Amino acid sequence: MGITRGVMVTVLFGIVLFVMIPIYVPRPSFIPGFAPPPDMWPRVVSILGMVLGLLLLGLSLSKTTEAIADPDAASEIRGDTPLGTLLVRFGFAVLAFAVFVVAVELLGFLLACILLLGAVLVLTGYWRHKWISLSVAVALPLLLYLFFSSALNTRFPAGTLLRALGL
Amino acid sequence: MLNDLLIAFQAVATIENFLIMAAGIWGGVIIGAIPGMTGTMAVTLALPFTFYMQPIPSILLLVALYKGSTYGGSVSAILIKTPGTASAACTTLDGYPLARQGKAGKALNMALYSSCTGDFISNISLIFIAAPLALLALRIGPPEYFMLMVFALTMVSGVSGRSLILGLVSACLGLLLATVGEDMYGSFRFDLTMDMRGGLAVAPVLIGLFAIPELLKIVVFRNTDTQKAMQLGDNRVTREEFRRSLKSMLKGSMIGVIMGAIPGIGPSAAAFSSYGEAQRSSKNGENFGKGEVEGIAASESANNGCCGSTMIPLLALGVPGDVITGVMLGAFMIHGMTPGPMLFETNLHEVYMLFIGMLFSSVLLFGAGKATMRFFSHISRIPPGLMAPIVLILCLFGIFSISNSMYDVIVLLAMGVFGFFMFLLAIPAAPFLIAFILGPMLEENLRRALAISRGDPSILISSPITWLFASLAVFAIVITIRQQLKKAKS
Repeated sequence: MGITRGVMVTVLFGIVLFVMIPIYVPRPSFIPGFAPPPDMWPRVVSILGMVLGLLLLGLSLSKTTEAIADPDAASEIRGDTPLGTLLVRFGFAVLAFAVFVVAVELLGFLLACILLLGAVLVLTGYWRHKWISLSVAVALPLLLYLFFSSALNTRFPAGTLLRALGL
Repeated sequence: MLNDLLIAFQAVATIENFLIMAAGIWGGVIIGAIPGMTGTMAVTLALPFTFYMQPIPSILLLVALYKGSTYGGSVSAILIKTPGTASAACTTLDGYPLARQGKAGKALNMALYSSCTGDFISNISLIFIAAPLALLALRIGPPEYFMLMVFALTMVSGVSGRSLILGLVSACLGLLLATVGEDMYGSFRFDLTMDMRGGLAVAPVLIGLFAIPELLKIVVFRNTDTQKAMQLGDNRVTREEFRRSLKSMLKGSMIGVIMGAIPGIGPSAAAFSSYGEAQRSSKNGENFGKGEVEGIAASESANNGCCGSTMIPLLALGVPGDVITGVMLGAFMIHGMTPGPMLFETNLHEVYMLFIGMLFSSVLLFGAGKATMRFFSHISRIPPGLMAPIVLILCLFGIFSISNSMYDVIVLLAMGVFGFFMFLLAIPAAPFLIAFILGPMLEENLRRALAISRGDPSILISSPITWLFASLAVFAIVITIRQQLKKAKS
């Protein structure tokens, strides 16, 4: 775990330093006075991050210093569940988020929230209490929608599909 | 000063402010009492709503939530041996054994008395320390500010996780994310989409980082067990028990005040230090861990003793000492106020209103705690599998209402997934958030200092104050590494 983490941190900051900063942080042609350029700070932070990543990697290679770099919090709660199952659950959760973002465009904010809440209640395992889950999934977004749109005047997206259907 | 405080008293003492503070305390106690729901989450969830409020009531609401949740954390610690907040973990040691003896009511009452005492002492300290410290801070310039923030970040990185290096990695990630958008001279950085030109707002980043990973943990690990709550049983704290605990309560309050005022230390460390000190100095030291009310008094007075004093560095120096004050800094900024020494010149009336409001909230905490004690045993049993999805929907509505834009909602969800990865890699979230909030100020002060010195970095160690903060940062790093090496060897 420690080695993987060290590599991941180093690679992440490396990509920022060598790929993203040259493309996405352009230096202006004129900088007033002695002001440092806009890429100075992101470069300093990225270099520091890379050094820390390499340090994590180095510490993980030695038995005596491994414990400093690798407290391994996640493995404590992972228990006996196979990694594949955990990845599938995580994948479904991310998929639910992605579908929600698309559904807001098509179905509007309220319906998308009802669907997301239902999906997440299934994913947390609470769906076995079907009636409570169903009531919460419908009533909570509806109440919040009414509260925000009437009391705070928030204008939520209506959804292109529903608008096309004249709803 | 007294006259200013009296004027502020009149301004704060309105029905509207009392209702807001009562709602904050009540909501905080309820959220704190639910295992897995933290004070940070309570404050972050309320942040979008403060957007529509006046500045002082909005800060008072957040402060009330903070105080309420700090006390509320002890409820589940006592009743179901699951601390609602990390700072209440120490309360479990004596609170739960006392509940098993059929004296849960006594434990809850002692926790309430100690919390209110610690909170009140902490507020008084804030009133008398913040203003003189701000006057002192007026004399410091960009290099000193830069080093002060470096020191604060080092402290937060060192104590918020189990590894200093991972804390620093987290801070670097936060600093990097804070550079997205327009910089102080108008250059755009990391503008992958047009929306990103405006940067990332504080609210979706911090709510995403703290609320959504909790949901993902439940979805992925399905760790949703709830324990049966104890009955309240014996309710009264006798005069003898109160007298016996008073010394530990006062000592704990002072420990909380001191440790809360130092950036990064926070209520958990204060509670354990106070508990250790009480056990060492008490005649009943051998009863600690077996249901001793003095143990509850020590830990609860210390963790609530931090509530007011964590505001000292925030108000006087503009440096948040922990995540919650980081959120409050965001709330101040939303309302056009910048915490720091200038706040005492430009918004003195508002600062005094805040002080008075905080004193009122101590009294309200006592009232809310007393009134809702019986209700608590039910709250502690709300299953996380139901609560976490509800929180997600609250976050989505809250965040969308701030900006009326799906961009912030996408940032919220993306930060949630990112926060979950950080959790998997054991990278603590607190340094990330503090760095994200301090990042723009840190960079601005560095660039100003370098512009003043014509690019010479030695300006960062050119005055006694910069030396002091630099030495403290190095000292903190050395001490933390030594402790971690010691732990690793053992």
